[in-house]
Amino acid sequence: MNDSTSTMHPVLLAKNLSKSYRMGSGKLEVLRDVSMELHVGEVAALMGSSGSGKSTLLQLLGLMDSCDQGSVLLRGRRIDGRSAGASARIRATEIGFVFQQFQLIQELSALENVLLPRRIARGMSWFSVRGEEKRKAAQLLTDVGLGARLKHRPNQLSGGEQQRVAIARALISMPPVLLADEPTGNLDRQTGDEVLELLLRMARERGTAILLATHDQAIADSCERILRLEDGCLVTPGPADSLDSPEPPPEATAPTP
Amino acid sequence: MSLLRLAWSYFCQRIILPMASLGIALGIGVLFTVFAVFNGFLHEMESSIRNVSGDVNVEVPRESPQTEEQYRKWFTQIEGVEKAVPQLQWFGLIGRRGSRAVDDPRTSDLSGIMLVGVDSTELDFGEINGELPPMQVGAPLAKKLGLSIGDVVEIVTHRSSRGQPVPTRRSFRFSAEYSTGRFDQDLNRVFVRRADLASISGTNPEFSHWILHSKDGISAENLAASVDTHFENLQLNRFDFPKIRTWRSIGGNFLRAAENQKGILTVVFGFIVLVAAYQLIATLLLTVAEKRHDIGILAALGASPKRISGFFVGLSLVISSIGICLGLLLGWWLIRNLTMVESWLGGGEPIFREEIYKFDHIPVAVDATMVGLMIVVTLITATLFSLLPAWRASRTRIVRTLRRR
Repeated sequence: MNDSTSTMHPVLLAKNLSKSYRMGSGKLEVLRDVSMELHVGEVAALMGSSGSGKSTLLQLLGLMDSCDQGSVLLRGRRIDGRSAGASARIRATEIGFVFQQFQLIQELSALENVLLPRRIARGMSWFSVRGEEKRKAAQLLTDVGLGARLKHRPNQLSGGEQQRVAIARALISMPPVLLADEPTGNLDRQTGDEVLELLLRMARERGTAILLATHDQAIADSCERILRLEDGCLVTPGPADSLDSPEPPPEATAPTP
Repeated sequence: MSLLRLAWSYFCQRIILPMASLGIALGIGVLFTVFAVFNGFLHEMESSIRNVSGDVNVEVPRESPQTEEQYRKWFTQIEGVEKAVPQLQWFGLIGRRGSRAVDDPRTSDLSGIMLVGVDSTELDFGEINGELPPMQVGAPLAKKLGLSIGDVVEIVTHRSSRGQPVPTRRSFRFSAEYSTGRFDQDLNRVFVRRADLASISGTNPEFSHWILHSKDGISAENLAASVDTHFENLQLNRFDFPKIRTWRSIGGNFLRAAENQKGILTVVFGFIVLVAAYQLIATLLLTVAEKRHDIGILAALGASPKRISGFFVGLSLVISSIGICLGLLLGWWLIRNLTMVESWLGGGEPIFREEIYKFDHIPVAVDATMVGLMIVVTLITATLFSLLPAWRASRTRIVRTLRRR
């Protein structure tokens, strides 16, 4: 664990998050009063058994779903409870995702998959900068070791290569926060280790904070901090003092897309 | 717009989408061809009527006391008249000398025709040999009567004598053949010299009609109004007042029927577009269902519901634009190869027979406004019909969709 992180302002802060789903006439509580923080450039592991709420917490933090209670602050500003369009804008520019199942679009090449978040974020103005964006995407793919496979489609790549493409895609917008949901869960041990090492190295180089959900202790050990979820409750929350003082952090400290 | 590349990828890799374009292309191609043929038919009919009748046709009352010089003087006084040509029209029967028809009018070899007397300065009657007056006959009539250039043709008609019709018969020499391309006209009209016709018919003056051509920029309707006003100012007596008609009113019922047909075609076009739009909406709904997972990925990467809707509207426009382009190319190819297509469809026989469709060829005219309208209506319809699939796509729940895989 990196003790210095506790003295820094959190880039991502969750306060008292609760989430439940309707199950017939009953209610299934998935998260209960979860509070946590993630600092600039910090890599934290989110551990827990299957069904403990890891994925749900990542979805709430990534604005893919809405919470019943609580709040989410990104770089000091509250981002939960916004309109679908506003949430989408934040996802496009400030939060990167890496999924267990890669989630690449099969009809697009590796390069086009990496470019996708930029196309979404920039809209029409993408046309004026596409040369620059393309170079950046190609460089990212080269950095993840796929410089020779830019034009390959996902089905022409191995699982490890597909996850590398997904990592490059998550980092193209230079988000301050990257949420990874069991990124090595679909890979064999050796490939998983390589992909994880790559993910951590690239995020550190860019100062991106990572919250990595896993149930693999070895992976968690390679992170700076471990958060444990049990039955929807965080049993090792972040330092209490930082949770009580969600001041706006200096924006300059976080990388911007 | 930024996701156009993805729309194009979908289009290239999902066979159902090019098939939808093909459906639109077939509709557009057929409509383009039908409209081009219909417009061509209409334009040639109009031009044919105009050639025969002039812009304005003035029918002089029988036994009019006014002389040809007097009429010429009047027409030179009317502003807008470029040229005034006198004609004498008279009905008669025609048959080839030596055929049974001339002696036995019960046979079908004898044809009822309109004899049109014109001045030699207006029409070339070809080389005239011998004593007989020349006659120009339409190609279908010449073929029907079995005439060759130089043959003697008999005309049976009546002459006017003190108000009583007196049967008469006169020989002409078939000196030239003409073809306007309009079957019925070429079959029913023969041209002779006006003086020759006047000598048969015994009419005085030697004209029954004046063909007026308007100056550039003056419509037939305006010219007709000027002529009418001029004759009214002359205060001619009621029986001496000529009948003034534009080429459009002479075409009258036929042109109105053609315009109605055009309206019906437009309605049919609307239905074809609706059918194409229906298959488009079905295709897009299917694509939304099939690509639900991709939609979830786009949403997770930051595509707003509006952007996702826009993507499907864009996809619809990609499909319809390609369909329109292919359809126009197909239509263009069809109108350039109509004779071949007609022959192919008819198993070697022409479908558009000149006896029925009046022309010995298939006239074609592309109306740019109609083509533009077709494109705009198709694009608007494609946009409107993509709204439902787009709306359904925009309602995709990210978590549920990504988890489903």
